[in-house]
Amino acid sequence: MRKIFSSRTVVTIIIAVIVIVGLIAGSNWWAKRTNTPPFIQRFGNDLAGGVSRVIAMPTNAVGRTANSIGNLLDTFSENRDLKSKIDEYAQNKVRLQTIEEENASLKKKLKLQATLTDYKTVSAVTISRSPTTWQSQLVINKGLNSGLKKGMPVLAGAGIIGRISEVNTTNAKVALISDTSEEANRFAITIKGDDGDVNGIVTNFNREKNQLIMGQVTSDNKIKKGDLVKTSGLGGIIPAGIFVGTVTSVTKDDYGLSKQINIEPAADLGNITTVVVAVSEIGAQ
Amino acid sequence: MAFWQLTRLRVVYPIVLLFLLFVDGSLMSGMGGIFTAFPWHILPVLTLGWLFYAVQFDAETDMPFWLYVILIGVLFDMYYTGIFGTYTLAFVSSVAVMMQLHKVLDERLLSGLFMFLVGLIVYLLVTYVAGFITGVSSVGLTAFMLFEVMPTVILNVMIAAVGYYPVWSLFQFLR
Repeated sequence: MRKIFSSRTVVTIIIAVIVIVGLIAGSNWWAKRTNTPPFIQRFGNDLAGGVSRVIAMPTNAVGRTANSIGNLLDTFSENRDLKSKIDEYAQNKVRLQTIEEENASLKKKLKLQATLTDYKTVSAVTISRSPTTWQSQLVINKGLNSGLKKGMPVLAGAGIIGRISEVNTTNAKVALISDTSEEANRFAITIKGDDGDVNGIVTNFNREKNQLIMGQVTSDNKIKKGDLVKTSGLGGIIPAGIFVGTVTSVTKDDYGLSKQINIEPAADLGNITTVVVAVSEIGAQ
Repeated sequence: MAFWQLTRLRVVYPIVLLFLLFVDGSLMSGMGGIFTAFPWHILPVLTLGWLFYAVQFDAETDMPFWLYVILIGVLFDMYYTGIFGTYTLAFVSSVAVMMQLHKVLDERLLSGLFMFLVGLIVYLLVTYVAGFITGVSSVGLTAFMLFEVMPTVILNVMIAAVGYYPVWSLFQFLR
């Protein structure tokens, strides 16, 4: 019988597999440990980011046109819905401004420098998105030069979309909340229930249902479908009060011991052309 | 180097390969609303398509092909994921399988597209398995095959079919 592989080939393949598995596991471990990648990797990424920016111009324009056409088809019904909401929105905006001013003056009287709700924003444009099976990441056009740090929350549209996972000199990567890796979506959140707040962290993302999961909830406070979920600010890096999504259902966990709250993310993770990085004034200090 | 030498395949091929690597990312970003509309997760893999053309049209004899495959894999890992090894292995194993199939299959368009289809499945499965090693996988194999592999293969094989004869002519011109 003819041998498909010689013994030398088999040994080479085994060694290659061991080296590659080691490389994947090792670089994954290293990426989690460090805040910025090594100089050579950073330099390469900055260079690649520059090329990517040029190439992104026409493709982004095509994508924007396709989105615009899609939006145009929904315009009529959307406009009707929006009109009904706009009066309420204007009223809320005026109220928010008044409360913000009052809050600032009260903080001044109490001699409070900054609290968990104070954050500055850095706007950025998406230049690329990883065409990968896992670890869906965006590359944005701001980096160390703009004061970004690993772990900062990134917002787009209605709410939070992810966190900075790697910072290069002129660009940075954003791990999306749809990514199941630990650094992407394990942030502290709070839900305002009828009897009081429920605090916890996002423990997972269910990609098959497109839902964030807040697991190991033991609080007896009643949470119902439609309750709003926001960041709690605990941990320091992510400011408080960033909208995360709405509760879709509350179930028991696999062992029946604690509750699991399923949350539909507020932000659309598909079309992300511009983002805002929230720099917590406490975390940045 | 004289100017005409710049139009040789071994110069043009890696430039296009590098260009397509960034085009994949830009397409994913620009058309993200369509490609990642729930529950789908479709990947544009033009880079692998360009490697397929080199295998199908026997261009690997004209240039250090394996070096380009490894370099593009390393660059992909560095720029898109920051974790080294996954996509380098995916590109290398996919090209290796396509080369083995190329020895068995004939030169016709449909045989070539079948070869690319198998190469694409190998590429996606390697990335799926790598997700388990790094602990980021969250989708069962059935959902992965249905919502990612199937649409990705359909899209990319269609693109490869459209570009087949133009790229064949280009390779003939550059040789």
